[in-house]
Amino acid sequence: MFNLFNNSNIFGLIEVLINFINSIFFALLLVALSFALIFSPPDYLQGDSVRIMYVHVPAAWIGLASFTCISILSILNFLFKIKNFSLMTKSIAPIGLVFTCIAIVTGSIWGQPTWGTFWAWDARITSMVILAIFYLSFIAIHKFVSEESKAIKISSIVAIVGLVNVPIIKYSVEWWSTLHQPASIKITGTSSIHSSMLMPLLLMFFVLILYCALIFLMKYKTEIIRIKKKNLKRL
Amino acid sequence: MIYNFIQMNGYGIFVWSSFIITFLVCGIFYYKTRKSLKKYEKEFAKEIEALSIEQKKTVLENSKVASKVLSSFNKSI
Amino acid sequence: MLTKKVKKRASLLVLFITATAIGAVLILKSLNKNILYFNSPTEIKISEDIDFNKRIRIGGMVKKNTLEITDQEIRFVVTDFKNEIKVSFKGTVPNLFAEEKGVVAEGKLQDKKFFIAERILAKHDENYMPPELKDIKKENVK
Repeated sequence: MFNLFNNSNIFGLIEVLINFINSIFFALLLVALSFALIFSPPDYLQGDSVRIMYVHVPAAWIGLASFTCISILSILNFLFKIKNFSLMTKSIAPIGLVFTCIAIVTGSIWGQPTWGTFWAWDARITSMVILAIFYLSFIAIHKFVSEESKAIKISSIVAIVGLVNVPIIKYSVEWWSTLHQPASIKITGTSSIHSSMLMPLLLMFFVLILYCALIFLMKYKTEIIRIKKKNLKRL
Repeated sequence: MIYNFIQMNGYGIFVWSSFIITFLVCGIFYYKTRKSLKKYEKEFAKEIEALSIEQKKTVLENSKVASKVLSSFNKSI
Repeated sequence: MLTKKVKKRASLLVLFITATAIGAVLILKSLNKNILYFNSPTEIKISEDIDFNKRIRIGGMVKKNTLEITDQEIRFVVTDFKNEIKVSFKGTVPNLFAEEKGVVAEGKLQDKKFFIAERILAKHDENYMPPELKDIKKENVK
């Protein structure tokens, strides 16, 4: 039977996927960038600074989604003790941190021409900074706690506590008065973003997701090799 | 036209700096991930090579991962 | 399929998450006033303990036909469609500052109806569209 949790089987799959993503990535990136920078129209109010949104919004989504994944995997690992899940969370965390930071920095660059300030301690921005801190502590625990089973336990607690922050980020713009505008893309109902701008946004999101998948696979592969290497010594 | 494209009606510096920061960070992050992957692959392959012939045989028979890493490492040399 | 051990862990987990969530809600409730980035004119009107010497932020829409720009100052009315506050400001405003757009003003209240701003921030709304479309919409309204 093909066992999905068997590292040997996963390893082969990872190599196939990495090669596949590598083959299509740059073509897609080029298409997405040309739509984001050239073919999409400027906004009626913001002008060309709206283009910053094409990196800011996907980065923020990825930052949030990664943390949700980490939390869910931590919960499943806690319930069913599946070792691979903790390897996965460890591989996802740096990606989430990088994209959360990108979202914060590009948002700040966008804030200057739009709001008139680089920084505001409003609820959305503060909760994003807290998310970055959760990522940092998750990674720091894995780095500095030398006993692995202990590191997994403590970092799982961080991930589960941090899960509470995710809906706070999502709804911060609705619950409190913030400088940050409410979400333009709604899961239900019509989006308040024109299709000529939605298209490059989704394209860019897709490209960045592919990039994340690539990094994740590489990191996961590194983790598997690390484990195998450890087992080798035991032989 | 190119001037306009770079200028972006005065927003150029903001737009370009965000895109450059994003893709620069992504590039560096990719490079670092790749580097540590290669490092582990190399160390792992070396450790297998250092084993005695019998041990090596059992490892390669039992672990697909080990044989894959070893063969790709030998190819790259 | 679920073993006893898993069930035990699950109940522990549910308890833990509920406790954290309740804790978070309580903290947020107690901090509620500090989390608000700005106050609306209505909130200013109904609040009783206003410190007139403290820098605060008020926000809302710039009311239509109230924006006056002279050499010395910029005057406008901030409204949340129920109550209004007059604002006076000296200095430069962001590009996106305009009538019928969101605004956040930082400064001091003189009384409940008059505000002297030291800084103006534009609050963007969630609508994104190309310029041509905006013109079409305007024509339809006319």
